[in-house]
Amino acid sequence: MLAIEAASITKIYKGARQAALSDVSLKVEAGRIFTLLGRNGAGKTTFVRVCATQLMPTSGSISVLGYDVAKQAKQIRDLISVVPQEGRPLRALTSWDHVYNWLQIRGEGKQIAKDKTEEILRKLELYEARDRPAMNLSGGMKQKILVAMAMATDAQLLFLDEPTIGLDPMSRRQVWSAINDWKSKGGSILLTTHYMDEAEMLSDYIVIIDRGAVIARGTIQELRRVIPQNIRVDIARDGLDVDALRPYGSVVDTGAGMLRVFTFESAVRELSELALRKNLTFTVSPVTLDDVFVYLAGRGIGDDQNSSD
Amino acid sequence: MCLYTLQEEALEMTRIAVTSMLPVRQAFLIAYMTGVLWLRRNPMSLVFTAISPFSLLFVLFVISGGGYVVPAVVGSLVMALVGYGLALGQDISFYKTEYKVQDVFVASPVSPLTYMMGLALSELLFGLPALIVLTSLVMLFGASVFSIPLLIATILLIWGSMSAMGFFLSSRMLHMRNATQVISFVNVILAILPPVFYSIDRVPDILRPLAYAMPTTHASLILQHIMGKGTPGEWSLGFGFAVLIAYLIGFVALAKTKAIWREN
Ligand SMILES: Nc1ncnc2c1ncn2[C@@H]1O[C@H](COP(=O)(O)OP(=O)(O)OP(=O)(O)O)[C@@H](O)[C@H]1O
Ligand SMILES: [Mg+2]
Repeated sequence: MLAIEAASITKIYKGARQAALSDVSLKVEAGRIFTLLGRNGAGKTTFVRVCATQLMPTSGSISVLGYDVAKQAKQIRDLISVVPQEGRPLRALTSWDHVYNWLQIRGEGKQIAKDKTEEILRKLELYEARDRPAMNLSGGMKQKILVAMAMATDAQLLFLDEPTIGLDPMSRRQVWSAINDWKSKGGSILLTTHYMDEAEMLSDYIVIIDRGAVIARGTIQELRRVIPQNIRVDIARDGLDVDALRPYGSVVDTGAGMLRVFTFESAVRELSELALRKNLTFTVSPVTLDDVFVYLAGRGIGDDQNSSD
Repeated sequence: MCLYTLQEEALEMTRIAVTSMLPVRQAFLIAYMTGVLWLRRNPMSLVFTAISPFSLLFVLFVISGGGYVVPAVVGSLVMALVGYGLALGQDISFYKTEYKVQDVFVASPVSPLTYMMGLALSELLFGLPALIVLTSLVMLFGASVFSIPLLIATILLIWGSMSAMGFFLSSRMLHMRNATQVISFVNVILAILPPVFYSIDRVPDILRPLAYAMPTTHASLILQHIMGKGTPGEWSLGFGFAVLIAYLIGFVALAKTKAIWREN
């Protein structure tokens, strides 16, 4: 079954000159974690909001869990749950107030709501602070309240728009684990994030959009193949001649005093010897999603990061 | 077989009962979250909302040396109710833009009218102390016990229609600041210009139809009637309630069909 099936979705905001989404078609399998990547303003939130029945598309059709977004929003709304980008909990209410009452509003009985609230608050390490009003909590804890509200429900499809923004590494892992639990219960997820490690860790399928259009899609393995080379070697820049690296593959400036060479296993040995000779630090690793993202979304923006090959 | 279908039917009936009760439960839970819980943690805010409806009453009372108390009480009660509806509009735009609360509610099994009802109930809760004092004053200055149902009906009608109007207006406002300005403008149109604080006799004949077109005029007339004051010959209680009910139906219909819930 498909959780989401979008056909030629275009969204032009009132008064906008450019389309926020243009002709986007994609399918999200049920029971999977589907991740939408893209630069700021690429159209991720717009797409999420269209699917979550918060925003009407200008044209095209989307069905969510088998129902039409435009005509059957009511049926969809019973089955979904969202963490909006830049949402905030109500200041005077505690995490317990938020989750427990929200579950009841969504139709749960008191006892089940209580159990579920306790479970999710413990999972996200909010339980200790369950009696503190949101205004006295840190930014990350506030964000976790919104995640807890959405993830405590028994919805079938969860929309997470940058759910881990501002979370410390431990908290991010708690959210990841909650996301995986959700999936193991058969739930589907549409996730957006700017953290490539997160996308790499969680996603079953990834779509990259840029300026409202899909520019790449596939599993992590498939996307890695977008870059012709499969290995990257980072070498400290100090006194290194870029031209000396070019024969080994495409060279990119990481912007942090390192040069990144995309290459093949066969060249790793020579490159490391070169670095050792010059006494430069270097690291060797497989190409990551981050590289793929920069390679794809970095193109055509005007910077010529990828044109040094 | 027969027993089986009976059981099925019973289950179906319970399901319908439960689902049709759900919006009511949802509205009360929303009111509980945004009203009761909030007040429990900020009890002082009740004092502020309780006092503000008495400012004009106080001025009029002092200026008239106590003689103008009936119209002042009536006007203050009507204006307070208009205020709660408009405050609802303000709250809704605040929750929408600052907290993204509406985004969460839109993508959930809560209907826009339920959301509106919940927040309107919470406004009513904030207004309760002032409402109790003002209705007691209405009783004190001439209303009989038998008019209590009329009094409550008037309060509910005006509160309901103003809340629906507030919801409709706020959903159409893009910016919080915008909403605040529109809301104070509407307050003048509904509570200050029409004969709410003063007698309709003072309205020139030519402007009377305009005054009668305002729901607040009728609310004020009904209250004056309840308090035993004379009302114009061309007006009747039935006329007043008919207009209030028409406004309630109209504004709720407007909120239901034209207020922006899902954005365009
Ligand atoms: N309410 C709106 N009215 C008009 N234009 C909008 C509105 N919301 C978004 N846009 C525009 O639509 C485009 C896509 O925005 P969107 O919020 O979907 O991007 P995004 O991929 O979620 O970005 P980010 O990573 O920064 O969250 C942007 O150009 C943005 O300026
Ligand atoms: Mg976004």
